Amino acid sequence: MRAPSQIPPRLVLGSWRELGTVGVVAALASAYAAVLIMVAAVAGRLSDADDGALGVMLGVVATVFILIALYVSGVVMTNAVATVLAGRVRALALLRLLGADARRLRTQIVRQAGMVALVGAVSGTVLGVVAVLVGRVIMVAHGTIPGGSYPLVSSWLLPSIGAVVAVTAVAAADGSRSVLTVSPADALRGPQPSRDAVRRLTRRRVGVAGFLVVTGILVLGMAVEAGSDGSAAGFLLAFVGGAVCTTGILVGAQLFLPACVAAVGRLLGHGPATVIARRNAVKDPKRTTRSTIGLAVGVGLVVTFASGLDALRRQVLEQDDLTARQRALSIQIFNLTEVVLVAIVVVSAVIAAVGFASTLSLTVLQRTREIGLLRVLGLTRRQIRGMITREAVAMSAAAILLGAVVGIGYGSAAAASLVGAVGSGFALGVPRFVLVLVAVAGVVLVIVSAHAPARRAVAVTPVEALRFE
Amino acid sequence: MPILTDDVVLLEDVTKSFDTAGAPVLALDRLTVGLRRGEFTAVMGPSGSGKSTLMNVAAGLDEPTSGRVYLAGRPITGLSDDQLTALRRTSIGFVFQAFNLVPTLTAIENVLLPFQLAGRRLNFEDRAWIDHLVTALGLGARIDHRPAALSGGQQQRVAIVRALASRPQVVFADEPTGNLDSRTSREVLALLRTAVAEYGQSVVMVTHDPVAASYADRVVLVVDGRLAGDHGRCSAQEISTLLVDLEARA
Repeated sequence: MRAPSQIPPRLVLGSWRELGTVGVVAALASAYAAVLIMVAAVAGRLSDADDGALGVMLGVVATVFILIALYVSGVVMTNAVATVLAGRVRALALLRLLGADARRLRTQIVRQAGMVALVGAVSGTVLGVVAVLVGRVIMVAHGTIPGGSYPLVSSWLLPSIGAVVAVTAVAAADGSRSVLTVSPADALRGPQPSRDAVRRLTRRRVGVAGFLVVTGILVLGMAVEAGSDGSAAGFLLAFVGGAVCTTGILVGAQLFLPACVAAVGRLLGHGPATVIARRNAVKDPKRTTRSTIGLAVGVGLVVTFASGLDALRRQVLEQDDLTARQRALSIQIFNLTEVVLVAIVVVSAVIAAVGFASTLSLTVLQRTREIGLLRVLGLTRRQIRGMITREAVAMSAAAILLGAVVGIGYGSAAAASLVGAVGSGFALGVPRFVLVLVAVAGVVLVIVSAHAPARRAVAVTPVEALRFE
Repeated sequence: MPILTDDVVLLEDVTKSFDTAGAPVLALDRLTVGLRRGEFTAVMGPSGSGKSTLMNVAAGLDEPTSGRVYLAGRPITGLSDDQLTALRRTSIGFVFQAFNLVPTLTAIENVLLPFQLAGRRLNFEDRAWIDHLVTALGLGARIDHRPAALSGGQQQRVAIVRALASRPQVVFADEPTGNLDSRTSREVLALLRTAVAEYGQSVVMVTHDPVAASYADRVVLVVDGRLAGDHGRCSAQEISTLLVDLEARA
């Protein structure tokens, strides 16, 4: 008889529900991609009259935004898989003990995540296509766009689904790297990374990250300089500078983000529940980084666009030779562009928020016994809920602050590189409305993401919690 | 109203039933037992006898289905969750089989946690007492370590320091030596013994190990949620015989 090539999925990743985040993120990203693709297709048909230039341009814009959303989804899903696995070290080690080899375990994880992503991506795509269809029918009925035959689907939908599944597979492979380091002996005790290896890795990381960030900022400075000289190369330089600097921040995130989270946590007080919350928020620097960096990238994107437009608006309105009518018209155009652009990039932030909430939920679940112990030792239900909420506050506030600061920097630099020559050279774009919006969304995120795990944590009696494996 | 009694813990006609999959299981069956102040009591019985339920109910971790529970003469049945939580901070110490310490707190932070939760400032006496315990248990050098850096025996000793630190009315120990090798087990048991003999601490230990129970002043046997025996100090040999007799009768 041939040995089965597959390990039963339940043994590797627990219930399928644990991969819920992967499915939700895949669905969100695919729905988003489908909407952008179909809108571009419909608009392309509309612009056939002017030889389809609008359609091509929209296609390019849609591709860029889809790539951004895919990137954020990848970060979120890597974290989701790593978090699930972190809670299953013992189960995995036991499988290793019984003879499963690490590579096969990983293949299994990638396959399972890919399947969940496929289901999510197909449902998301169908949803997106239907949404555009409904929107188009309504607009035709209202006479906003002319009637006629429009495409129902696009040949780009299949590659979009493929891309989502591929990103998930890469994320699952990356997120499951820890499986390789799980030794069968870990079945009996928790794994401890060797200190030396960690330190060596850290030193190299500091070097690479520092170099990229400094180079990126220098290039951004050159972009602003070029912009004020009226050089057309400015915007391209700004893009390169932003990309280099962002890569540096991402590489170095685990060196400073946990410290930021801890610093924010310190502002929350000194009670025992707060101290435990703060320590838990940074207990695993990698996990902290992964669950917050997605949020920082999402917020950073939104703020970059909003700040760039705000800086552009300031510089354009600074010109004295504008008539009142031109002034009013530019304000109107800027406001409309801001709403549309923010609405498009905000999806990435939403995907990041989903990842943040699910990580928090899982890590609280993984701490059921600890919470039982704390209840026995004298933390009230209120204190436990407060502890989980504070953990969420420390992490989300740090991420949002980082995203906002970096976003304002990029947006302002990009604006200066575009129109520095006509305006004052450099204007700081501070999009007040969007910043307030981001802050409010952050508060909502904390309340929503902490509510369910906090309620679940205090619903079990301490006795049940202590028995939890 | 406090009642006058020598018992630090008193269970009066206590019944506890669990509703598992429609079939109610009677974990405690109209049990009445008093555990005396300043004594080291071992609660023994085969698995499923109700000994752990007895501890949970006595410590206010679980509500009895009927009957009354008194801690230091004060009724604790019917107290709200917050009142019970406050009671645990000040009046009860716990030592479990494993997972006693909060992983993100150092050993000393774990010891001081109940004080902080109760909002109690450490006075000179408290400090001296904790210092004494830490030194006596040979934890001096390890006190600023996280639990992950401590051995099983060291973790268990930190848990005992924490349980004794606030001089609670009673310390409950649930299979405190279940995860330890025999040498470390003996150390931990001797420590609990000392806490009773020298400091007058009341200790209630749930165990199925006759050797562990032989350190106690009194051995209470529970079978099917009822009292099945109440003995003074016994040797491990005698306790084994008692347990075998119980099994034979069942």
